[in-house]
Amino acid sequence: MGFTELWSTYGQNYIDALLTTWGMTLVCFALVMVIAVFVTVLRVSPFKPLRWLGDLYVQIFRNIPGVSLLIIVVYALPYLNVVVDYLPSVIVTVVLVASAFGSENFMSGINTIGVGQIEAARSLGMSFGKILRRIVIPQALRSTVLPMTNLFIAVMLTTALGSQVPLDPPELTGVVSYINTRSTGGILAFAVSALGYVLTALAIGFAGSRLDRKVRVLR
Amino acid sequence: MSVNTRSAQLSMRDALYEEPGPKTRRRIRIGTGIAALLLAALLALVVYQFWATGQLDPQYWLFFTQPTTWGFLFSGFLGTLSVSLSAAAIALVLALLLMLGRISGIRPLAVVCRILTDFFRGVPSLLLIYFFFLVVPQYGIKLPAFWMLTAPVALAASGVLAEVLRAGVNAVPRGQMEAALSIGMRPFRARMLIVVPQAIRFVIPSLISQLVVVVKDTTLAYVVSYPDLLQNARVLITNYDALVSTYFVAAIIYILLNYAINQLAVLASKKTGSTRVDRMTQNPT
Amino acid sequence: MPGTDTAAPVIEMRHVNKTFGNLQVLKDINLSVQTGEVVVVIGPSGSGKSTLCRTINRLESIDSGEILISGEPLPEEGSELAAVRAELGMVFQSFNLFAHMDILKNVTIGPTEVLGMSREDAEREAMELLERVGVASQAKKVPAQLSGGQQQRVAIARSLAMHPRAMLFDEPTSALDPEMINEVLDVMVNLASQGMTMIVVTHEMNFARRVADRVVFMADGEILEEGAPEEFFEHPKTDRAREFLDSIRGH
Repeated sequence: MGFTELWSTYGQNYIDALLTTWGMTLVCFALVMVIAVFVTVLRVSPFKPLRWLGDLYVQIFRNIPGVSLLIIVVYALPYLNVVVDYLPSVIVTVVLVASAFGSENFMSGINTIGVGQIEAARSLGMSFGKILRRIVIPQALRSTVLPMTNLFIAVMLTTALGSQVPLDPPELTGVVSYINTRSTGGILAFAVSALGYVLTALAIGFAGSRLDRKVRVLR
Repeated sequence: MSVNTRSAQLSMRDALYEEPGPKTRRRIRIGTGIAALLLAALLALVVYQFWATGQLDPQYWLFFTQPTTWGFLFSGFLGTLSVSLSAAAIALVLALLLMLGRISGIRPLAVVCRILTDFFRGVPSLLLIYFFFLVVPQYGIKLPAFWMLTAPVALAASGVLAEVLRAGVNAVPRGQMEAALSIGMRPFRARMLIVVPQAIRFVIPSLISQLVVVVKDTTLAYVVSYPDLLQNARVLITNYDALVSTYFVAAIIYILLNYAINQLAVLASKKTGSTRVDRMTQNPT
Repeated sequence: MPGTDTAAPVIEMRHVNKTFGNLQVLKDINLSVQTGEVVVVIGPSGSGKSTLCRTINRLESIDSGEILISGEPLPEEGSELAAVRAELGMVFQSFNLFAHMDILKNVTIGPTEVLGMSREDAEREAMELLERVGVASQAKKVPAQLSGGQQQRVAIARSLAMHPRAMLFDEPTSALDPEMINEVLDVMVNLASQGMTMIVVTHEMNFARRVADRVVFMADGEILEEGAPEEFFEHPKTDRAREFLDSIRGH
């Protein structure tokens, strides 16, 4: 199958697939940020049980394989009377896994600040809330731009898990198996999807490193 | 110099707070109590849900007391390990070649290596598995299941590892290269004998933690029907009709394995004294 | 602080004790500093002099004893503590400038965030202060672009912007390259001559001789000697002080 034939037959499928992947990536990443902030707040709170819960969350979800988690969400949870549709299942899986890494990024962002600056802010008479708002959070955010960019790309790659459940339309990985079960797509059928991923990843990476250069904190 | 002893030993999350006064101490105590209650309630809810849906019934758990169950899971575990270690070894060699190509100074070679690195970093491992599972056979090449899994997992890892190694090379002080050149070494020799070995030592912890990603990728084995831990868990499920318990046990085994690998990486980074070039390696697939 | 006793010492420590684990770092410390006084604290490494300095604005808590600021007990927490801290300047060994803000912002953030000063007023005053410590031309740079000496002078300006009633210096020149020490000491000498109340923990003996009203010698968490600089440097009373002075003069 040549490219013209492939594209005239399946062009629309690829476009839908790319849009599905992009959409899932954006929704997942937005949720990842929200939950990562929440988990990080738990982990830095002064209450031991909450810290412990946050740490446990991170250890579980950064170490569980995505497939294993997806299977549990899709096949095991219904036995526990928790039924989630396919698309939300994929999103939940991606978000649980990626938010654990997101929280790790925030924690190391906080770790780059150093006790000294916090003591200096304290000495000026700044309250705890002001120290967080003016000193800790701005620096933590700036120093997490690059790791979060990588996480953004990783989220996109992880949405490929969507190929393991029936999605309509399928996303970029699922569309390859969709096409190959119908015709002999050959290496081209694979290459189109791969290009979709790689170019998106490069674009995200480019935007991320520009933003990083702009906001990076010199030390 | 009497650097303040307290702060030096504190982790940042403790350093956010000052030493509490009496009022703050009381608030923390109350908050801790409430948090503990909430946590207990959450746990109780989960256990109740298991109990109410009958998932705590002995029929779902008793077969885990049989040695054959664990023997079967263990054989799957060995499958997971053999794919993981083979893929990791291949990925390391590929990554080294990609990295060396990229810093070789030979323009076309560097460009090719860069494109390959970005490519393998930029596509999901699942897509690569489909390539070996669906596309390669269309060209009349018949690969065993082991290679249909190991090859894509290795390729996906090689891209990230090449970047890790390059970060390691960049972390070697420039003076090392200059010193090697000044005693008359040719640039290529200097790079291979002086810079690369140090770079690898720098990134050993990152290499170890990258193994976690490889282990996770191997769970895609069921796509190509390779008998890894998760695939064998499925077989158990069809035998005992105990889906929930088996998948949870399998997940816990993976979590513990990856946790152990991560701890090993932490240990290695303490031993080599190198900071982990972790951020760029994080890839939650 | 309204309603405080003007005759009371600015800073007073009474029977202060503190331990880290089973190491007692402060042993029955009694110290009082009057308005306009410059007290220099010296002593060997690990003598507890830094800890002493840090307990005065409660960056370190104490186990027993009392610390009074202008006659009022130092609050243990909350906005009361913050209000006292706002009136005590603190300069650290490692400068601790806010890395993500430019120099001007470093100096204005205290007045605007804590004292509620308008940005224009704060900036005008900050520029005057930066001028005074000689780094006005660097106002738009970030801390990492400045030398250690310049950073420390900015840190002093940052404290001065709060109009403190006393300044605490915790080894302000120990992290500096030798050629930069004097530019920082000059600023401190100036401050002292303008009547600022200061507690200075330092290894700079010449500074102590020139500027101190009183020298406090600490070892092993105790104040062993206290007196006028001449007297202390020429006729130390304790063996520990003699050994210490010999060791720094000897080389």
